[in-house]
Amino acid sequence: MEDFLYFFTFQDPSITWVVMGITLLGIGSAYVGTFSFLDKKALLGDAISHAVLPGICLGFVLAGEKDPRYIVTGAFLSGALATFLSSWLKQNTKLSEDSIIASILSIFFGIGIVALTALQKSGNPEIAGLNSFIFGNAIGIAEADLFLYGGLSLAILLVLSLFLKEFRLMVFDPGFGKAIGFPMKGIRFIFNVLLILAVVIGIQAIGVVLMAALLITPGAAARFWTDRLQPLLLLAAFFSILSGILGTYVSFVVPQMPTGPWVVVFLSLIALISFIFSPKSGIIKRFIARRSYLNKTHRDHLMKALFKAREVNQGSMTLEEIYALYPFHKKEIAHSLQLLTRQGLVIQDSQGVQLSSLGTSDAMRIVRLHRLWEVYLNEFMNIAPDHVHESAEQMEHLLTPELEALLEQRLNYPALDPHQETIPRESHDL
Amino acid sequence: MITQVPHPVLEVHDLTVSYDQHPVLWNVDLSLPAGQLIGILGPNGAGKSTLIKSIMGLIQPTSGYIKIFDKPLPDVRSRISYVPQRESVDWNFPASVLDVVVMGTYGKLGLFRRPGKKEVQIAQDALDQVGMMAYSKRQISELSGGQQQRVFIARALAQQADLYLMDEPFAGVDMATETAIFQLLQDMARAGKTVLVVHHDIHSAMNFFEWCIMLNLHLVASGPKDQVMTEELLRKTYGGKLNLLTQVTDLIRKQDFNPLKR
Repeated sequence: MEDFLYFFTFQDPSITWVVMGITLLGIGSAYVGTFSFLDKKALLGDAISHAVLPGICLGFVLAGEKDPRYIVTGAFLSGALATFLSSWLKQNTKLSEDSIIASILSIFFGIGIVALTALQKSGNPEIAGLNSFIFGNAIGIAEADLFLYGGLSLAILLVLSLFLKEFRLMVFDPGFGKAIGFPMKGIRFIFNVLLILAVVIGIQAIGVVLMAALLITPGAAARFWTDRLQPLLLLAAFFSILSGILGTYVSFVVPQMPTGPWVVVFLSLIALISFIFSPKSGIIKRFIARRSYLNKTHRDHLMKALFKAREVNQGSMTLEEIYALYPFHKKEIAHSLQLLTRQGLVIQDSQGVQLSSLGTSDAMRIVRLHRLWEVYLNEFMNIAPDHVHESAEQMEHLLTPELEALLEQRLNYPALDPHQETIPRESHDL
Repeated sequence: MITQVPHPVLEVHDLTVSYDQHPVLWNVDLSLPAGQLIGILGPNGAGKSTLIKSIMGLIQPTSGYIKIFDKPLPDVRSRISYVPQRESVDWNFPASVLDVVVMGTYGKLGLFRRPGKKEVQIAQDALDQVGMMAYSKRQISELSGGQQQRVFIARALAQQADLYLMDEPFAGVDMATETAIFQLLQDMARAGKTVLVVHHDIHSAMNFFEWCIMLNLHLVASGPKDQVMTEELLRKTYGGKLNLLTQVTDLIRKQDFNPLKR
């Protein structure tokens, strides 16, 4: 708790700096990453983030120390080389995009690890900090370095807001962009530069291995909540900042704890929550929708049974008779019965269960839809009368009043279904 | 049967187009009059889309050139509007109908400038013309195929051009929508616009187009509908394989280099 207060009240100016840095970095990478996620180029970001490792080592060798300017430049160049190679290979070979990206990722990362190991054996005392580039260490970043990373993040945000319209076109319809005379190749080039920069700014805080997660996950999680680009970008940035700060906090509290993996843990948590709770397509939403549909089918079946009992002049049904019709759904039918009684659609008395007058018209509609659909299948789709029942069992729960009206019209208000049963209508319907 | 016109809106001069080593259009040479509704007809793989894409500068021709309003494309780009095939984009992209139609104003806006009130007004007018005003706030993934097509046509209208190039605007569109769109295109032609449409269905082509271009790897015909929609020319376009031309194409592909390219 003490740590928590110390961290989040920003008494320590160096914490303030780190949090500001992480915030800028989070917005930058979330914005760029969201576009690349929408562009279905998520893997490219992963390849680039792994591919910057050889550049980091090269920058270190050239500077002889952990000079961020050399390291950022080296990382940028090797990221650019990887990006160029992947598009060159795609144009000039018949290799598929995923195999190209997988090879580039592993080759560059392999070379990077070899170089890093060799440097560690060289005995240079400065080398110790180089390991943090693998998994990231936000707390260990010096103030001067933060200015470099923060400045680059700001530059990314600036260019992105300048090119918002152009990037939107690049992702949605590049052919149209070219047709109206926009330099789409140039726009793609600028976007790729931003993508590499977004990776490079994160290497020290998040690390090369996991930087792709900070690019892609915020946008992917935010997509569960919104259908518009602007809110999508803002929400992605928010997710990214939130997990960035929480990850930094953990690596501040626990000694020797790398930042990157914790940022990813929090990001995954947000993504998981989005996946479960999204009001649009979350699994809870889908579960509830499925449940309410199933409940409706049981309710409809019960009312249909009661209506048919009345058709054969049997006033009410006993509970045993009802359960005998649906031996596998006793619990659900009992539940529906309770509900319908409460709604006043069904009356239970000493003789058994029967429909109220309100319930009768509801039940009549279900039976009518069932039989209308059977007529439709039989007459318009030439399906034999003994094959139409199964489909009608499904459609009776689905058809809307509009479709019902259309069916009636098309079929010209038929009196009988293919099994010669009356299609029931209220007298004022006719 | 190729009718050339004086002062054409569009002149395609001896155009040959290849994808890699694979020629797909041979020596197309035609000129088109202004203010007409023009259909590009031909079987699958005849090169209809390729012709439109070449006119739009999306594909570099192997040889030949194109002049629009007697000028090369870059000089007159703002007067041309393009409707790509509906399947060419991802309709799950997070955007509203209005967002997509506003893209039609990007060309005149140029780089960096953001669309403002004026552009939104243009887009709304365009949506109104295609009868999609009620859907302007709808997410594009929720639209039916015919509605998506109308959104694309609205985007083209928002470009406020003089020449319209449309790639299969009737693919996956129901009959009622097709007729409504055709009427809109006829109105545009009557207002002096030239509308070029890649189309599949010969039956509706007969009813709506005034001028037809018939393609099957090469140009079979280009001229007023009554003159080119003959049984003989239709058979040349759709019936029978162009055995020789196909074999030559295969031969070029096997050579691994394209002698047509300069």
